Amino acid sequence: MLKLIRLEWKKNNIGKQIRIAVITTAVLMLFMLMTARELETTETLEAYGKSMLDASVALFVHMSYMVFTGVMIAGYIVGAYEKKTINLMFSYPISRAKIILAKVLAVWIFDFVAMVISKALLYAGLLLTKSVTGINAEGLLIGEPSFWLDAVLSSAAMVSISFIALPIGMKMKSSKAAIVAAVIIVCFTQGQIGSVTLVNNMTFYAVLFAVAVASVWLSVRRVEVRDVM
Amino acid sequence: MSYILQTSRLTKTIGGKELVRDVDIHVKKGEIYGFLGPNGAGKTTVMKMVMNLWKPTQGVIELFGKPLTPQSYEVFRRIGSIIEFPTFYEHMTGFENLRMHCEYMGYYQHGSVDKALEMLHLTEAAKKPVKNYSLGMKERLGIARAILCKPELLILDEPTNGLDPAGMKQIRELLRTLCTEQGTTILVSSHILSEIESMADTIGIIHQGRMRKEIGLKEIEEMSLAYMELTVQNPERAAYVLADQLGLSNFKVLDGGIIRIYDNRVTIEEIAKVLAINEVAVTSLGRKAETLEDYFLKLTGEVKADA
Repeated sequence: MLKLIRLEWKKNNIGKQIRIAVITTAVLMLFMLMTARELETTETLEAYGKSMLDASVALFVHMSYMVFTGVMIAGYIVGAYEKKTINLMFSYPISRAKIILAKVLAVWIFDFVAMVISKALLYAGLLLTKSVTGINAEGLLIGEPSFWLDAVLSSAAMVSISFIALPIGMKMKSSKAAIVAAVIIVCFTQGQIGSVTLVNNMTFYAVLFAVAVASVWLSVRRVEVRDVM
Repeated sequence: MSYILQTSRLTKTIGGKELVRDVDIHVKKGEIYGFLGPNGAGKTTVMKMVMNLWKPTQGVIELFGKPLTPQSYEVFRRIGSIIEFPTFYEHMTGFENLRMHCEYMGYYQHGSVDKALEMLHLTEAAKKPVKNYSLGMKERLGIARAILCKPELLILDEPTNGLDPAGMKQIRELLRTLCTEQGTTILVSSHILSEIESMADTIGIIHQGRMRKEIGLKEIEEMSLAYMELTVQNPERAAYVLADQLGLSNFKVLDGGIIRIYDNRVTIEEIAKVLAINEVAVTSLGRKAETLEDYFLKLTGEVKADA
C-alpha cells in the first residue's frame, strides 16, 4: 500500500502540491501577522473553546486545507476517471479497491501532514515575532499537550470531513463538483452566522465524520464489479 | 483446442441498449487475431469486457483457460493492452511513464524501458514530457507500454490510429515480429480491412454487435470465395442454361451481363461448352478470387462506399 501511495504522489506531481502548500502557509502567516494585532488575542471564545488567536489560526488553516483537500480529491480520484487514466490503473494486477484506497490515503496523509505543519509554523511564527508585532500570544498554550492534541485531532477530523466531496464528484463525474462540494463543506463547518456556528459542536463533527467514512466506503464499494465508464 | 482467450455468448447491455450479443471469439496461442468491424460494431465493447473494465451482462470470458471474474487481477500481469486510446501522466516524460508502468506491473528488468522505446523509435523523445508528444507519438508510446513487460497476450484496440502510413507499416511489422519471435498472442482490432488482412492469421468479423464469422486467412483463400465470372450478351438465357443443363444454383446475375458462379463442382471448360452448345454468346470468362473486402462487405451487408 505504501508503494501505491508513493506512486500516486509521484504521478500527481507532489512537488507542485508541496509548493502550493508552502505558499498557502506563507500567505496565511502574512495574513495572521497583519491582522492578529487587531484581535483580542487572549480572549477565550466560548463557541470555539479556545483563545481568539488559536481559533483564528485553526480557522484559516482548516479553511485553506479543506479546500485544498477538495482540489486534491478532484485531481487524484475524480480526475483519474475524467481523464480515463483509471482505465490504465484498472488494467494492472492490483485490486481496484486497493487502488482507490491508495488514492484516498495519498490525499489524506498529504493534507493532514500539511495542515499540522502549517499550524505549527503559524504558531511558531506568531510566537517568534511577537516582540516585533506586539501580539499578545498568551492564548497559544504550546506547552500543554492538550493544545497539540487538539491541533492534530482537529486536523485529522477536518481532512476526513472533506472527503464528503468524493462521492459527489464521482457521482457527477466532475472535478469541479468535487471542489465546489469541498467549499460548501468548509462553509458549513467553519462558517458563522451572527453568533451561530457549528465550529465546536462535537455531535455535528461526529456525524460529518461518519458521513465522510461512509462516503469513502461508498466510493470503494462495488468498485470491483462496476463498469468503468 | 485450447485457447488463450475465448468468449462464449458474450453480451453487453447498457441502459437497455444492446451493444453486443452472443459474441464468441476464439484466440489461439501464438496467433494474430484480427478483430474486424466497422466503427460502432462492438469491437471496443468486447475488448473492454476482456480487460474487465466492463462486466458482461451475460456470457463467459476465459483467459489462459480460466474464467475471468471481477476478482481476476493476477491475469493482467500476462497481458498488455491499449483500449480506445492510450492515456498518460502528461507532465511526466515518456521514460517516466514507462518506468511507472513497470512499478505497477511488478516488472523489473534492467534496460527494458530503453528497449521498448527503441523498438518504437521513441528514444530521442523519451525525455520530453508526454504533453509535448504528437498524437502518433502517444500512440507509439502506448504500444511501447503495452509490450514493455513482455506480455503473453497483447490486446490492441485500433493501435494504428493517428499514425502515418510509414508508422502503420512499422507497427504491423513489429506485431508480426512479436508474434513469431516471442510467441506473443495478439488480439488487434481495426476497421481497416487492408491492415487486418496484411497481418492477421485469423479474422473475427463483428457487425452491429453480432459476430458474423471467424475465419482463418488461409481458409478465405481456399474456400468458395474463389468464383468464376463470365460476361454474356443474354444473361437470362445463360442463367437458365446454367440451372437447367448444369444443375447450378449458387450463382449471381449482376448488371452488365455479368454472372458470378460460386459452385466449384464445374470447370470453366464445361461452362464454356454448355453455353456454346445452347448458343449463348460469351464475351469473357475467367476465374477470380473474392478479396477480403468483398467477403467483409458480403457479411456485413454494406455497400462499398468508394465503388
